[in-house]
Amino acid sequence: MTIVTHEHVDEHAAPPAPTGWRRLTAPGWLRVPWMIAVFFGIGAGITVLVRWLEGWHPIWKGSIITTVELTTVPLGFLAGIGTFDYWVRYATGAPTAPEDHSGHGARSWRDYFRVNTDHKVIGVQYLVTTIFFFLAAGMLAMFVRAELAKPGMQFFDNQTYNGLFSVHASLMIFLFVIPAFAGLANFVVPLMLGAPDMAFPRLNALSYWLLPMAGFMMLGSFLVPGGAFATGWTSYAPLAVHQPLGQVFFNMGVQWAGASSIMTALNFLVTIITMRAPGMTFWRMPLLVWANFTTSLLVVIATPFIAGSQFFVMFDRVMHTHFFDPGHGGYPLAYQHIFWFYSHPAVYIMMLPGFGIASEVISVMSRKPIFGYRLMALSLLAILVLGFSVWAHHMFVSGMAPWLRVPMMATTLLIAVPTGIKVFSWLATMWEGRINFSTPMLFAVGFVSMFVIGGLSGIYLGAVPIDIHVSDTAFVVAHIHYVLFGGSLFTIFAGIYYWFPKMTGRMYNERLGKLHFWLTFVGFNLTFFPMHLIGVQGMPRRVADYAPRFADWNLFISIASFGLGASTVVFLYNMIWSWRFGPPAGGNPWRALTLEWQVTSPPPIFNFDEIPQVVGSPYEYGVPGARHAVLNGDRAEVGELEEVRRT
Amino acid sequence: MRRGSVVQLVLFALVAGGAATALALVPGWLPTPAGREAGRIDFVFWFVTVICVAIFAVVAAVIAYSIWKFRAPPDDESDGPPIHGHTGLEITWTAIPTALVVAIAIVSAIVLAKNGDAGSNPLHVDVTAQQFAWSFSYPGHANLTSGDLRLPLGRKVELKLRSLDVIHSFWVPEFGQKQDTVPGLTTKLVITPDRVGTYPVICTELCGLGHAVMRTSAIVMPAAAFEAWVNKQGKALAGPAGQAGKTVFVNNGCNSCHTLKAAGATAKIGPDLDKLPAEAKGAGKPLEAFVRESIVNPNAYVAPGFPKNVMPQTFSQLPKSQLDALVQYVVSSSRSGR
Repeated sequence: MTIVTHEHVDEHAAPPAPTGWRRLTAPGWLRVPWMIAVFFGIGAGITVLVRWLEGWHPIWKGSIITTVELTTVPLGFLAGIGTFDYWVRYATGAPTAPEDHSGHGARSWRDYFRVNTDHKVIGVQYLVTTIFFFLAAGMLAMFVRAELAKPGMQFFDNQTYNGLFSVHASLMIFLFVIPAFAGLANFVVPLMLGAPDMAFPRLNALSYWLLPMAGFMMLGSFLVPGGAFATGWTSYAPLAVHQPLGQVFFNMGVQWAGASSIMTALNFLVTIITMRAPGMTFWRMPLLVWANFTTSLLVVIATPFIAGSQFFVMFDRVMHTHFFDPGHGGYPLAYQHIFWFYSHPAVYIMMLPGFGIASEVISVMSRKPIFGYRLMALSLLAILVLGFSVWAHHMFVSGMAPWLRVPMMATTLLIAVPTGIKVFSWLATMWEGRINFSTPMLFAVGFVSMFVIGGLSGIYLGAVPIDIHVSDTAFVVAHIHYVLFGGSLFTIFAGIYYWFPKMTGRMYNERLGKLHFWLTFVGFNLTFFPMHLIGVQGMPRRVADYAPRFADWNLFISIASFGLGASTVVFLYNMIWSWRFGPPAGGNPWRALTLEWQVTSPPPIFNFDEIPQVVGSPYEYGVPGARHAVLNGDRAEVGELEEVRRT
Repeated sequence: MRRGSVVQLVLFALVAGGAATALALVPGWLPTPAGREAGRIDFVFWFVTVICVAIFAVVAAVIAYSIWKFRAPPDDESDGPPIHGHTGLEITWTAIPTALVVAIAIVSAIVLAKNGDAGSNPLHVDVTAQQFAWSFSYPGHANLTSGDLRLPLGRKVELKLRSLDVIHSFWVPEFGQKQDTVPGLTTKLVITPDRVGTYPVICTELCGLGHAVMRTSAIVMPAAAFEAWVNKQGKALAGPAGQAGKTVFVNNGCNSCHTLKAAGATAKIGPDLDKLPAEAKGAGKPLEAFVRESIVNPNAYVAPGFPKNVMPQTFSQLPKSQLDALVQYVVSSSRSGR
């Protein structure tokens, strides 16, 4: 068994800062602008050259060049900021820079704006970035609700309105929920496993830096001629093929966000499989690790499908490939099949990590072992498998082969069983506990209750006859927000509050945290529950204008949504204020057993001075003398350990 | 040690279940059905609702009870009892939900099969969707076309739906039935109207900037009134040019985007057709040629201030007689509307 120690880390001095013109060639923000210019030139040059050789006029065509630049300019940025330096040197045979750890760990706030290979820094980078896009996307939702407050057209024209909800959904999904979970897991999973970092730290840094590319691309689509992409986050062909230029910003934004997702997922899989501390068998992994393991499998299997679907749409547009053009042998429903083959599993990509967070928080805060640990882990795997067999339930009214409807309904409804097992097990974990209703627990319990409502409305949607009536109505909007807001977002909030002391070393303000929860909980229900009703009654979704009989409810919903939006201010204030001025939190404020709480807050630069030895379950609350792991000097105290299986 | 009391828990569940039942019964959730299929969908809806209210009551009761009973006092640092699981309970909450969802699936599959059965002698209606208008034609009645969907009471109707451009979706909330129209495919939908009235036809698949206004009406009429309407329309199309042209104009949904006084059309998505003579001058073409070109190939000249590619390019498929009648009608109406 080898134990890696990094006590020597402080002996390294960071290399001297580059001076003079070398500042322009060293990785960093000064290299970014001219690298972007170079890559812009490459993209434009190739396009012009090809068009000139082929004799296509005009040779300089803005829309085509823009499409190509959405690939090359982000590469220029990444090259400039320095994500590729090590690999390029290695690949070209140049001497690689000796690893001096200067790009690992944060010594000042500036280090968060550089390429950093420390999973804890990357985790924080992820979270701050995703919260920025959460705020941007939330603002777009406020605009949507402002337009919907009254029937008729108030503030926006139809195309702009369609752009607002399309960018809202795309940012929330691809730039908030999915990467926010990746950010939390980035910080927590290596610590929970007893590992010094992720398996591939440089790949980890690259996956983070891809994200802002995707986000600014989607937001930036508002600035191009014709406005933002306006076909919904589902972006169905053939409509999307014939939209203004902004559509390409969605097609390519998804590529960058998807690439980020896939790289992170691979990193998690390798980390979880190969870097567990000695004694950390699969059946001793915390459920958050299990959740991210299954999520990562979903990501690597499914994400290439959405990447493909978006490329096909873009090729139909710029290369006239006719994948989805029935006039030339294309098949429009193929888009939906490919898209949902990713995007249904994506629902679980956006939910399973939340299940993991809820399991951690509920067990710790109830001071009880998680109820039915193995069944909890197995139900994650059941959801993973079933999740790939239900995609066509998004297509019950699409005109696909009719025989697919009943089998897909059966698998869809069956997913309620493993999900139900999880809900009942959380309830049983709370039963007879000593429950501490701190902010993370409030959000976790809020999640369970809201997710049950979202799950039950999912049963309605799973039953084909009801789905035929309510699909593409406000009922669906209500359902997905109960699942993704009441579900995913509530668990993200639970996770942020729960690990805030670990990340910052400081405690958030509990009173403000509770205020934030109650404002969010009430505002959320007032906003989204009535949408079930008006949807069933006949209000479609994705419309800027609607029948006057829905006016009263829509006004009510809009007012509630503004309150819900305002509740975010409390969250932001609490986070920013507590990060600077909060009281020191100590290493283990929640008295939790999992490994991340057994080190200082924030953790040392390589997490553990010595790799821990895992000796038992992570949830043995109330079991006298039970331990999850042995760290550092405690080793002697426990004596000779038998379980040293892994090295 | 604080123990849970089953009696108290049942009381909580009854309260939660009562609240959920009230929420299910008090607001009018479903539109009053105007078709037999909607009646069956309503049955599934209430069948699922009963099950969901029961599940919600159990979960809500346990959560509320835990908050009330198992909250730790502020200075309590003790742990709960180390319960790791209970095989019987775990089997129960796997088996009961499985049975419930299987029941829902069976009921749904039966209703789905019934709602898709067109019977032996349905009335056929061809539905054509295009950005952003609906058109209905009756192959059993000399291909009479209409911008409204008119249906006789009590007879099964089989809609055959096609799209000329992108995906749309046909929905009448009171019929409960919905079906996408897909370019390149013909999809089907069965409706059996059983209540006279006028109901909205709504496009529910995002189809572009006019999606929100892609609406028309479904009108259920007594069988005799339906026959009378069919006869009258047939005569209008065979009648004098002006009358035929107006019928084509309305039946093809021109009025849902354009203003034309003579036809009583006031929509503002496309250019005002009463100003066509001026537009023709702007384009430098004789009025009649300009009108014909703008219908058949709308991108040839786009009026200032309006985007390209908004007007459907599909009217070139109109039968020649109808196209001629339409051009004549629009030309003469716009001249007189000056």
